[in-house]
Amino acid sequence: MLGRPLSELLHRVRAILRREAVERELDEELRFHLEREAQTYMRAGVPRLEAERRARIALGGVERIKDDDRDTRGVAFLDALAQDLRYAVRTLRLTPGFTLAVIITLGLGIGATAGIFSVIDRLMFRPPAMLHDPGTVSRIYKQYDFRGRERIDGSLEYRRYLDISQWTSSFSQAAAYQDASIAVGVGQDAGEMLVGRATASLFSFFDARPALGRFYSASEDTPPTGAFVAVLGYPYWQSRYGGRRDILGSTIHIGAGTYAIIGVAPKGFAGMEIGETPVAWIPVSAYAGLRNHTWADNYNWGWLNTIVRRKPGVSVASATADATTAYRRSWQAERAMDPSVAPLEVGRPAALLAPTPLGRAPDAGAAGRIPIWVGAVALVTLIVAGANVAGLMLARAFRRRREIALRLALGVGRGRLVGQLLTEGLLLASAGGLTGLGIGWGVASAFSRLYDQSETLGGGLVDGRTIVFCAVVTLLAGIATGLAPALAGARGDLAAALKAGAREGTYQRSRARTALVIVQGALSTALLIAAGLFVRSFANVRALPLGYDVDHTVVVEVNLRGMRLSHDEQKTLMRRLTDEAVTVPGVQGASQMVSIPFASFEGTGLVVPGIDSVQRLGPFLLQIVSPGFFRTVGTRILAGRPIDSTDRHGAPLSIVVSAEMARRLWPGRSALGKCVKVGEASTPCSTVVGVAENTITRGISHDAEANYYLAADQVDRPTYGLYVRVVGRGADYVEPVRRQLQSVMPGVSYVRVMPFTNMVGGAEQSWQVGATMFTALGILALVLAAIGIYSVIAYNVTQRTHEIGVRIALGARVANLTGLVLRDGLRLGVIGMGIGIVLALVASRWLSPLLFDVSPRDPAVVLVVAGVLVGVTCLASAMPAARAARVDPNVALRAD
Amino acid sequence: MDRLDLPQGTLDLLILKALSLQPQHGWAISERLRQVSRAMLDVPQGSLYPALHRLERRGWIKASWGPSDNNRHAKFYELTRAGRKQLGAEMDAWQKLTTAVSLVLEMQ
Repeated sequence: MLGRPLSELLHRVRAILRREAVERELDEELRFHLEREAQTYMRAGVPRLEAERRARIALGGVERIKDDDRDTRGVAFLDALAQDLRYAVRTLRLTPGFTLAVIITLGLGIGATAGIFSVIDRLMFRPPAMLHDPGTVSRIYKQYDFRGRERIDGSLEYRRYLDISQWTSSFSQAAAYQDASIAVGVGQDAGEMLVGRATASLFSFFDARPALGRFYSASEDTPPTGAFVAVLGYPYWQSRYGGRRDILGSTIHIGAGTYAIIGVAPKGFAGMEIGETPVAWIPVSAYAGLRNHTWADNYNWGWLNTIVRRKPGVSVASATADATTAYRRSWQAERAMDPSVAPLEVGRPAALLAPTPLGRAPDAGAAGRIPIWVGAVALVTLIVAGANVAGLMLARAFRRRREIALRLALGVGRGRLVGQLLTEGLLLASAGGLTGLGIGWGVASAFSRLYDQSETLGGGLVDGRTIVFCAVVTLLAGIATGLAPALAGARGDLAAALKAGAREGTYQRSRARTALVIVQGALSTALLIAAGLFVRSFANVRALPLGYDVDHTVVVEVNLRGMRLSHDEQKTLMRRLTDEAVTVPGVQGASQMVSIPFASFEGTGLVVPGIDSVQRLGPFLLQIVSPGFFRTVGTRILAGRPIDSTDRHGAPLSIVVSAEMARRLWPGRSALGKCVKVGEASTPCSTVVGVAENTITRGISHDAEANYYLAADQVDRPTYGLYVRVVGRGADYVEPVRRQLQSVMPGVSYVRVMPFTNMVGGAEQSWQVGATMFTALGILALVLAAIGIYSVIAYNVTQRTHEIGVRIALGARVANLTGLVLRDGLRLGVIGMGIGIVLALVASRWLSPLLFDVSPRDPAVVLVVAGVLVGVTCLASAMPAARAARVDPNVALRAD
Repeated sequence: MDRLDLPQGTLDLLILKALSLQPQHGWAISERLRQVSRAMLDVPQGSLYPALHRLERRGWIKASWGPSDNNRHAKFYELTRAGRKQLGAEMDAWQKLTTAVSLVLEMQ
């Protein structure tokens, strides 16, 4: 015996799946009834035909019964839906231009929003995979005043982490970790890879079971030196070990240590950071124990991100207060060890709790804000796109007013009519949504590539969450676009609409639509002006003389990986590497160095006879070089000579200074032959033998830097890097140079080689990001505005067909007519453009600090943008104008 | 005497009652209701079939095809056990309702 709901369900399913059979049975049943009914009449002497007629009357309309029956079967809804869908497809195919415009508009809007969403989601909302109950997990940040300025710092000392976990009662769990690039492997295989240093407690924050073996325990992670065990990340296990299960117990070289592999983390587990999965996790105490034995006892080394889990029922506010009390106590403990720590009243230490996504960290900088800002613009674009589509649909609804009124008059329910318009909206939105998903994927990957955050954001940017987001946006867009005309249509006065032809009340301009198009014009103008400013800034940055040649140079960094070499041994190694580098085919020269522009700077105290407090004129940036340095990096010598092979150990000390340094120390006089004491007043003079051109060292700007260059053979300290000059592109030489140099590296040490352009590229990134993002969004807005203008003008032309027909009949010329239409479009475009220019001028205040060597009111940019906008407006109006010119007065006047 | 219109909801009760004696096809049900009520009740034939199918969906009656008395292929309906229970419950409710309504109407 079936329960009632189940029986009902089965019948409904049967009704849907075996619809024809069910209908046939119903037919059969009703026919049988009619026959029997007729027979009774015939028995009473009624002739056959009359009997059949009476039977039919008694039963009532067969079709109505069938309809009632279908209603009770729940098939009617499906029937209506299928009919609506067919109808929608048919009407949309009748107007391919309109359909395409709507789909592209929605696709662009949804795509841009979805792409940005996937980036923002990762930065702002998504908790780390497998994290148990993410809502109760917080990151802890230190906040304190240092030299009168408030600082927020998420890197805790291990001691501090212990203090806070033991002196608080609000938390059920605490863990500390840090993911960083560390050398993994040995010899030619050695490379820097992401490694997680984590307390054993990190794993218990997650619902994760090892894919193989086990995680390490607290007993293996105790200071001063923990156990040398490693848990591999799943992707590395797959790629490096082919997923072999017999790797447990084998070893892996990480940093300066050798670790036994005890387990593999499950697939998808990436620790607390979103993005690239570390190749392995190792105990904090094993990694740190190799450095020294006091690392866990003092407050000297802040390096660990700290996470805590609040106990049930503990609010963030009370947990923060609890952590702050513990931090203040810890501050006092630090002050007891180191009297130079400021007293509590001055340092004002406080703990901050933040949700796990890094974009919501209290110290999240521009990296966190830029995507959100871009997201806001993208959202505006989506709204504009949606409004645009609603406008298009509305225009069509007006054109179809008579059709709608007719259908209402024929007895179509208003609900059914609204349903039909909604179906149309949803169908369009779905097509737009699919297009958007494709565009979104493109946007997301472009954004992450541009932003160079592929590592922090992770691959596969379009995922389930983005698709769900897309679907929701599509649904909303569909409802909005379908509902607007539905409301306008269903509200209409039947009789009035039926009586009126399209001729009636011809040419009503919709104020809302006009305003919308103007807003779009303004938005795209403002965005394009910003884009132009960033493009010019980027060009200016690129044109800035760096003072060295990045294109043909590779940078080599030596990592001794904990090996302790004497100064002499290291100097020998560096000389050997320099000699080795030039044996690589295509290498023209090589030089040792200690600092890389934009990356690392060195400096020492300077004393210059005749100048008080030299440091006041600084900072002075040190470079230690071997002969051939200036030729290698392409820095010109303006006067005197470069450091060369005569500047060897024991020879008189030489120094080369930058033009800027010469100007600061000896303004108006020649620097050559002057004495600079590197170190203290008692050190011997280094004689200035040459003046080099200024170089960009710490950041992109016009402020010249004071650089000085010393000979590697004449200073005590060793160098730890090389510049290598090559023929052709630096990037092509990274691998050959690395292979050659690695072959002479002792033990587990290794070299890291990268093109010099990478270092500079990073410094130029913000302008590049700005230029690309604004250009992309500006063009997107422009396309939308063009579609908007086109739809408004085309709509107006359709509305005015009758009027245009009259004009032609009265002898108007084609040029007059097209001019009439074009003027209409241009008026909209120019008003929007004007507002956009004003908008850009207002925003210039916030924009100018982001620009380089460009006035935010740059007339050239404004002019070009204005030209583009006028051009696009003309183009968008040209098609409807051409249509107006082709109006046949005979047809136009007789229509309706 | 004028025919009575069926009060809302009573058609189901009548169908169940008619089927409680023996399986019937649709026409026979309408015929039987007409005869038994001495032609006082006008069972609208048009609503009979949707009502039958509704009851069938609820699992109170079940249908099967079989030969009719004049050897035509016809759809026969019979009560299920749930239908019998439902009939009891509805008859009960009907009795109570009519009793209560009569009491009110007879009040002095």
